[in-house]
Amino acid sequence: MLTVVTRGTSMTEWLDDFLVRSVIAGLIMVAIAAPMGCLMVWQRLAFLSDTLGHAAVMGVGLGLLLEVTPVFGVLAVALLIVFSLNRVDSFNSALSETTLAIISHTGLAGGIILVGLLPAQSVNLEAILFGDLLATTSADLVRLLITTLVLLLLLLHHWRSFVAVSVSREIAQAEGIEVRKVQFLMYIMIALLVAVMMKVMGVLLIAAMLVIPTTSARLFSRSPEQMVAVSALYGLGALAGGISSSFQFDWQTGPAIVVCATLLMLVTLAITRIFKSHLD
Amino acid sequence: MPAELLLRASNLSYAVGKRVILDGISFELKRAQITTVIGPNGAGKTTLTNIVSGLINNFEGEIERAPELRIGYLPQKVYVNTLMPLSVLPLLRLTQNSSDQEIEHALAQTGVSYLKQRQVRSLSEGELKRVLLARTTLGQPDLIVLDEPTAGVDVSGEIRMYELIGELRTELQCGVLLVSHDLHLVMSKTDQVLCLNQHLCCSGQPESVSQHPEYLALFGQQAADSIAIYAHHHDHEHDVDGGHAGHQHD
Repeated sequence: MLTVVTRGTSMTEWLDDFLVRSVIAGLIMVAIAAPMGCLMVWQRLAFLSDTLGHAAVMGVGLGLLLEVTPVFGVLAVALLIVFSLNRVDSFNSALSETTLAIISHTGLAGGIILVGLLPAQSVNLEAILFGDLLATTSADLVRLLITTLVLLLLLLHHWRSFVAVSVSREIAQAEGIEVRKVQFLMYIMIALLVAVMMKVMGVLLIAAMLVIPTTSARLFSRSPEQMVAVSALYGLGALAGGISSSFQFDWQTGPAIVVCATLLMLVTLAITRIFKSHLD
Repeated sequence: MPAELLLRASNLSYAVGKRVILDGISFELKRAQITTVIGPNGAGKTTLTNIVSGLINNFEGEIERAPELRIGYLPQKVYVNTLMPLSVLPLLRLTQNSSDQEIEHALAQTGVSYLKQRQVRSLSEGELKRVLLARTTLGQPDLIVLDEPTAGVDVSGEIRMYELIGELRTELQCGVLLVSHDLHLVMSKTDQVLCLNQHLCCSGQPESVSQHPEYLALFGQQAADSIAIYAHHHDHEHDVDGGHAGHQHD
């Protein structure tokens, strides 16, 4: 494997290696999952990403049916959901568990039916559900990179408002931040994120990558920015563990990443517990 | 010397759909004066503070503000996210860049300097209230608007909180618009009372308001009597203490 990498001299040749492509895709995903995941955990929005992920199966089906790249079908469905949720008078009640569960499962069920109608060889349902990091194409990589850059720029530009709204809607509002607009922007960003992460993690596992490293980081972080940085490190650890165990034991990459993330979290939890009981 | 006028509201009305929330309210807020808004639930008190703070703009009537009037606003119910790692200093810097000195000073003023390194999620309700009060004094506001700042604080904490607000008024020389349910605790500190029930039932100095027929109809004779008792109690304490200046109602 490594000989292939070193033999290549130009960037394009280097990118020919599927392992290089998937590692880069994984790194990009970690970079964007950390800040987005933190914001989503703070605002209790993890379930929204789950919903958009599940409903994304419908988008994949539609994309394949209309013969466009599935990512665009997914993005269309995710944006449609976010916009219609935003039209409801009280956004918070629109985000109730019940509403999200209905959208989530209807999207998943409808999507599976759609995919089932397509000729069997054109779809890999398993890749849709659990991701297929090792099959990342150069086109996937470009899309992932562009979307991530857009999201990172939006995050940098609006970070203060995002954090303020997360800390306290009341304070943010009292100081003239348009809370509803800020939140709507976040929902659109989550839709974008889901569309690009789907390739790597699969629709069923996106939320895991947003929530688990973040939860580990929360155990000992002292500031919002620190939590983002530490989440990224945990994401990195999970990615490394996931890819290598995928090679070592022939595990599926997406699920392997999630399991590694959880193992890291449990270890952290145990260490912080021991540390605390020593202090007492 | 007449106090500097900070804000004049003329004939404010506000309705949501057909439901009238405020109806023809007029009042003035002056520098270094505490104005207390009292009224039953649903009287429009929070709407009024939102209008004064500039968060609601689609009202009828007119608001004139002193040029470059800076307002610090502490809303009624502030939930601070306990899922986030955040210490007190960044909480104070959340939406504005204040210098370390400014922040230290603000925290010292509300008596919570010792909390500055603490995580916000570990604060008690009373500590959080004081930190948030310190927050509203950042950026040298001309007017601070406090919507029921003592909700969730026990009675002795409430009394201290109102004393603190009186001190802030003296020290910052800012106007204070205070919404309160604790009539008897607030009255003695107050320069002007607005008794609100959609319309302005009555307004003026606490003693005159507490004898007004509309006030008595809303809150009853007992409330008026308890104000008299507390006012007396407070005057007495003042003579002994003497530390707090400028609370005479003449």
